[in-house]
Amino acid sequence: MNYSSKLIEEAVQAFATLPSIGKKTALRLVLHLVKMEPELTERLGEALLNMRKHIQFCQNCHHLSDGPQCQICADPRRDRSLVCVVEGIRDVMAIEETGQYKGLYHVLGGVISPLEGVGPESLQVDSLVNRVDSGEVKELIMAVSPTIEGETTIFYLSKQLSAYPVRISTIARGVSFGGELEYADELTLARSITARIPYKSE
Amino acid sequence: MYLSRLILTHFKNYSSQTVHFSEGVNGIVGPNGMGKTNLLDAVYYLCMSKSRFSVSDRLLIQHEADFFRLEGHFLREGKPEKVVAKVAKGRKKEIERDDAPYERISEHVGRYPVVMIAPDDIQLALEGSEERRRFIDNTLSQIDAQYLTQLIQYNHILRQRNAYLKQVAEWHQSPDESLLTTYDRQLLAPSDFLLEARKSFIARFIPIFQAHYGAISGNQEQVVCHLRSQLLERPLSEWLMDLREKDRLLQRTNAGIHKDDLEFLIDDYPVKQFASQGQLKSFVLAMKLAQYELLQHETGQYPILLLDDLFAKLDRHRVEHLMTWIVERSFGQVLISDTELDRLSAVVRAKTADCRFFEVNKGTISTPNNPITQQPN
Repeated sequence: MNYSSKLIEEAVQAFATLPSIGKKTALRLVLHLVKMEPELTERLGEALLNMRKHIQFCQNCHHLSDGPQCQICADPRRDRSLVCVVEGIRDVMAIEETGQYKGLYHVLGGVISPLEGVGPESLQVDSLVNRVDSGEVKELIMAVSPTIEGETTIFYLSKQLSAYPVRISTIARGVSFGGELEYADELTLARSITARIPYKSE
Repeated sequence: MYLSRLILTHFKNYSSQTVHFSEGVNGIVGPNGMGKTNLLDAVYYLCMSKSRFSVSDRLLIQHEADFFRLEGHFLREGKPEKVVAKVAKGRKKEIERDDAPYERISEHVGRYPVVMIAPDDIQLALEGSEERRRFIDNTLSQIDAQYLTQLIQYNHILRQRNAYLKQVAEWHQSPDESLLTTYDRQLLAPSDFLLEARKSFIARFIPIFQAHYGAISGNQEQVVCHLRSQLLERPLSEWLMDLREKDRLLQRTNAGIHKDDLEFLIDDYPVKQFASQGQLKSFVLAMKLAQYELLQHETGQYPILLLDDLFAKLDRHRVEHLMTWIVERSFGQVLISDTELDRLSAVVRAKTADCRFFEVNKGTISTPNNPITQQPN
């Protein structure tokens, strides 16, 4: 496309490097910025630069953080004996969104999959062992995808931690809440029946 | 269950072709290299969601085309069902039934049971154990959806374990023992399932196989077959523990059900070394007919029978036996390919009137002029 402006062209190309933004969307965004007050662009640019310059990873749980320790780890109301082990940052956000969980997290940075070149050494395994070693953690909740690689990762972690008196649990797998039984896929349904739970009436 | 109509688009040497099949015997004739086998393979593909001959789906796409599409109209338990397979370069393959794509393609396998008898079946007797494992896996996958799921799982874990052994070797590290133990533990459940399924399969298969062998060969010799598996001697966990060093050196997993084999003996001698050419032919045909019968018993449907290049490996006597066997039962749909119309039609018409013939010429299919054949519109 001919933008008849080198400045516009460069801005469009910069936007287009972002995921799920094509040339046309990029152009729409750029033209929008041109139409708006210059302050908007300034604030946007500043927010981006500031974020990129100062964002860190929490030394404790490896979640995104503004300082050496993230807001979750620094929160005194959180239960420090409970740690939820997740693959990535988005999992933390999804669980936080539920508002149900009051413990801490540990972000592994992926799951073990040698086929994709990911071995245990490229994940935050040692730091998890160190956290458990410090004695503060009583229970680890493994909130990892129910795939073969997820299972491998849970097995492996539990082996690394077998010397410690820490309780290890996994999140429940099964028929989704509000879902209809007949629409559940066979694997999930079979698993839900094998791993059934006792019925409790309040 | 049968396939009434097949539409091929850019599949191998077919640009665009529609074929109306008979519910009974379909004879497909034409010189070599015209596309008879490709037509049978298209039917096989719609049933098994993969080719009988080519490992790569991409190689099935016609030269200079970007995709192939197969559309099959089946009649199953009295109801029409449409199956579509689509493979395009750079995209995931899709299988649809009645316009709904499968989430897992493996769920499709077994709905339309199929058996192909092809000249290269002789490899079952002569080649390494892989061919015979594939035979077991192919049969059991069509009978039991759980078998295929467990097999896919086992193979996936095995690939991860092997990838890890390779990776550490490349980095000149020694493997993390607890990760190997993790994989070993993960292999156990699918391995137990598959071993039990195979053991029970052999027990059901042997009597049917022996009956067929006896009928085909007309001989007195005793054929037996048994499963050879390391896991019948010792449990998998022990093997994996003992062979760790070997696994590390060879960068792959040296024990497990992926090493299983079927051993066939004729009068106590291994078929592979001691059988005559005639015995081999009878042996392979008996295996395939036993597979057909087992599938029919256990799926409750007559599988589609694909006979590729009927006379290439079978002599008149065995062809005669096969045709008699087909018509003596209330058989399902059969597709037979041969190079000569006269020869094939003589053999088929001697047995049944329920037949239709097709001529294949460079990827074009036509119906030869004969009074029995009627092409529906």
